[in-house]
Amino acid sequence: MRLKNAVYNRLFVCLENGALAAFLSLFLAAQARAAEAELRPGDTIGPHNWERVKEMVGENLLSRIKQGYTFKIKAPTRYQPPREYVEATKKHAPAVRLGPDGELLNHVAGLPFPQIDPRDPQAGQKVAWNFYWRWQGDDFKGGGGTETGKMIRYAIEKDGSERRYDFYSYFLFPRTRVTLEPKPVIPGYENIDSIQLRVDSYPRDSAGATTLEIRYSEPKRPDDLYLYIPSLRRIRRLTTTQRCQTLAPSEFNLDDIDFFRGKITDFNYKLVGEKKVLTNYAQERVPYNRKKGDYLPADEQWEVQDVYILEITPKDPDYCYPKRVMWIDKAAWEATWAMVWDRKGDYWKELALFRIPGKLADGQVVWQQGTGYIINVQNGRSTVISASRKFNIGLSPSLFTFGTMQTITRQGEVN
Amino acid sequence: MRVGRTVFLIAVLMMVSVKTAPVRAASILGDDWEKFFRDKVSFAGYLENVTGLSIAAGDSKFTTGNRFIMNRLTFQPEFNVDFNEQLRFFISWRFAKEPRYNKEAKDRRRSTPPFPPLDNTFYDEDSFKPWEMVIDVKPTDRLKLRWGRQFISWGETDGVRLLDVINPQDGTFPPPLTPNLFNLDETRIPSWGLRSFYTFNPATNTTLELIAMPGFDEEKKRVDEYAPIAARWTPHPETRIRLGRLFADPIAGNLPVVIPLASSEFPDAGDNWKLGGRITHTFGRLSAGIGYIWGYNPQAGDMVFKKVGAPFLLGPPGPGTPTGVRLKLINDRTSIYAAHFNYSLEEPWKTAVRGELAFYPSKPYNISQYPGSTGLKAGPHPKYSNTDITEKNTLRYALGFDRPTLIPFLHPDDPWRAFNLSLQIFQSIIFDHEDGIRAFASAEKIHKVSTSLTFRIGTGYLGDTIFPDVFVAYDPLGYWSANPAVSYVPSWNEKIRFTLTAALYGGRNKFGSLGVFSEKDSVFLKMRYQF
Repeated sequence: MRLKNAVYNRLFVCLENGALAAFLSLFLAAQARAAEAELRPGDTIGPHNWERVKEMVGENLLSRIKQGYTFKIKAPTRYQPPREYVEATKKHAPAVRLGPDGELLNHVAGLPFPQIDPRDPQAGQKVAWNFYWRWQGDDFKGGGGTETGKMIRYAIEKDGSERRYDFYSYFLFPRTRVTLEPKPVIPGYENIDSIQLRVDSYPRDSAGATTLEIRYSEPKRPDDLYLYIPSLRRIRRLTTTQRCQTLAPSEFNLDDIDFFRGKITDFNYKLVGEKKVLTNYAQERVPYNRKKGDYLPADEQWEVQDVYILEITPKDPDYCYPKRVMWIDKAAWEATWAMVWDRKGDYWKELALFRIPGKLADGQVVWQQGTGYIINVQNGRSTVISASRKFNIGLSPSLFTFGTMQTITRQGEVN
Repeated sequence: MRVGRTVFLIAVLMMVSVKTAPVRAASILGDDWEKFFRDKVSFAGYLENVTGLSIAAGDSKFTTGNRFIMNRLTFQPEFNVDFNEQLRFFISWRFAKEPRYNKEAKDRRRSTPPFPPLDNTFYDEDSFKPWEMVIDVKPTDRLKLRWGRQFISWGETDGVRLLDVINPQDGTFPPPLTPNLFNLDETRIPSWGLRSFYTFNPATNTTLELIAMPGFDEEKKRVDEYAPIAARWTPHPETRIRLGRLFADPIAGNLPVVIPLASSEFPDAGDNWKLGGRITHTFGRLSAGIGYIWGYNPQAGDMVFKKVGAPFLLGPPGPGTPTGVRLKLINDRTSIYAAHFNYSLEEPWKTAVRGELAFYPSKPYNISQYPGSTGLKAGPHPKYSNTDITEKNTLRYALGFDRPTLIPFLHPDDPWRAFNLSLQIFQSIIFDHEDGIRAFASAEKIHKVSTSLTFRIGTGYLGDTIFPDVFVAYDPLGYWSANPAVSYVPSWNEKIRFTLTAALYGGRNKFGSLGVFSEKDSVFLKMRYQF
């Protein structure tokens, strides 16, 4: 495994060197296309034919396929962003520019860069901004799409033992709004990209623990992070160092949420290429069926989607992940896979997430989160999370305040 | 008492039955009710047993040999009803029972002349009165109201309270300075009241908060148990060695100390309101607030003994007859000017700084003259001989520094699982300080400036199944306490938690501020099941 990682890392180093990079990109893309060309709905993938999906799944999943994991291929599902988002993109994207430090200028709403030229030296930065400002509704409740209204998270140990932790979250995008009034920005919130309130709800002792996270537009302004601790009934301020801290007992950290929740201007980006990968945009059951102790779905089918390959490296040398690679869907600009390497260059974590369809109030069908997993291949622990959403519910900014945090009850909803 | 125990057991069985009833039983109520309960009502709580053993056997004055200091069973069911976005209801009960530990109970009841028998102060809750019961109403988008029996916590400190004085702390519940045994929320006594938030500007969290609490309704002696007058957590209440250290006996020829006959004085209902308000605002990375609390303040540490009447003999006149004095443990109406802040220091400090202060105008203190006029340890202070109380402006403040720190070699399987370090500094400054201001029972001098420090470190191991946590308090005068703990949450069941913890006290003077409990060093095993 380490030898293989070393070869990959060597390849990435070489990729930075011009001509060889171009050659390898073409080679990998051609290989991926060849693999995809062979995949048809109804095909079965397993240890007998794992080569067919090589480069189309994460290294860890490929290893599991070699060991016996089997699934079927189904026809791909296509989604389009809502009309109003597409219109906002058409209206505002022509004026959008990148600043000298990679910051986004003149962005009002919609997708910042609808056209990506892979030869553009700033293509990576533009893909990153597209991912950041992909359509996610003007607000949403994480967990709002499930029957319980909660996100369900299982922490799985290497020996297969499991613990369950539930939580829910509210996200508000106070600017770049395309559906809910006021549009495009809530007065007073011109410098805030997003606000998130995340509430633990199970088990009882952690229920009520609430994180308020405010992401500012200013490139150099760090996030505000506050934590309400029910056992103290007080709000504590956190430092942004805690974005890197493992959200134990899960294998996620704050920047792993939605594959990558880091501040865009804190990182460097490189568009490595494009290819076809396996994912699932029409998950059949949420959470998916799985064997107890295993993080992989037992009976879901997988499909082929086109993605950009984005490599992310931190500007801060002390940041936890020295290299993260994301596979970002070209249509929805959602990440379908992310892989993380440690300082030694060893493969560390792998994230994958399925999607399910969701219906907006006006009947438009959009994608939303389904079930996903993160596996730490070095310590063997994994986390499975089901996180379906309810969009455009008209959240008030006053929900995201200290007053809300201080009146949270264990098990209860916020109001 | 047996009736109470039976009722308690029936309540436990009822709750367990309700919780474990087959699903189809719910449909007896009809589909609408079933839907209501499924969608709007949530039920949770915990069942807990805590067993404590004293490590120290005591000293030559400690005759009881009692080591079994706690075996408490607690059952706390909690219901939450989310009616709609404007209305929410929460109710919980706490049922707790501590068996009477025969040795300690007998020792407390025993008469050891000249000392009177002591009350038993075990922690019991067997009333169906709700422990916490609040109705949350949101009349407008920016106004939130919470009415009911509730907890209100102001301030920024951890483990130790400074501005968190709105709900009294139950002195019979935890040993002092043991946040790893019982967290602050478990030790507070809920109070009826109204709390309101009005958010002027959500983007900057500019909020006006008002509280009104119409009276402290506790009948049990819970609050003053920290005051070392033979209370539960004093070193050896059975020996009564702590009493009467402040006053020299003014009656010549008698025993050299006065026997205080102390009683608590609570204001009448209606006369013990507590009112408060504060405004908070966020300036960039600084979040801050100022506030004011007025009213009755039943905090153990803030109470003073007020002398009532003249000393008198506790027996027929003659050599060796002790002298008694009637004292009332009181805390008059208090004004507290409050402030708090928190600020995030990013690179290279990566530390969250927090602070709070409380200014008490004319805070009462007991005062005596040292040495006493008769050559004994203390005597009535010439300026304050009527009440033995003086009032001084007092400022208390705390600064806290929280820093998550990575120590990768101590976390080989998860190098990004941080150790959470927390350092707190507490200071109290008495303006116009006078010599003679002392703690009543211990006769320890209260200096113009008093300082104490706390340090805490905690993390999670093995996928957060093992949680070590150490809380240490230190008084530079030479007293310390330590509350190390290790908890275990099995990787196969998130509902179970075991905690092994110790409460250790020491220092150069065991009757000093933190060391006052030094003879009660103890270990506890806490087993909790959450449902």
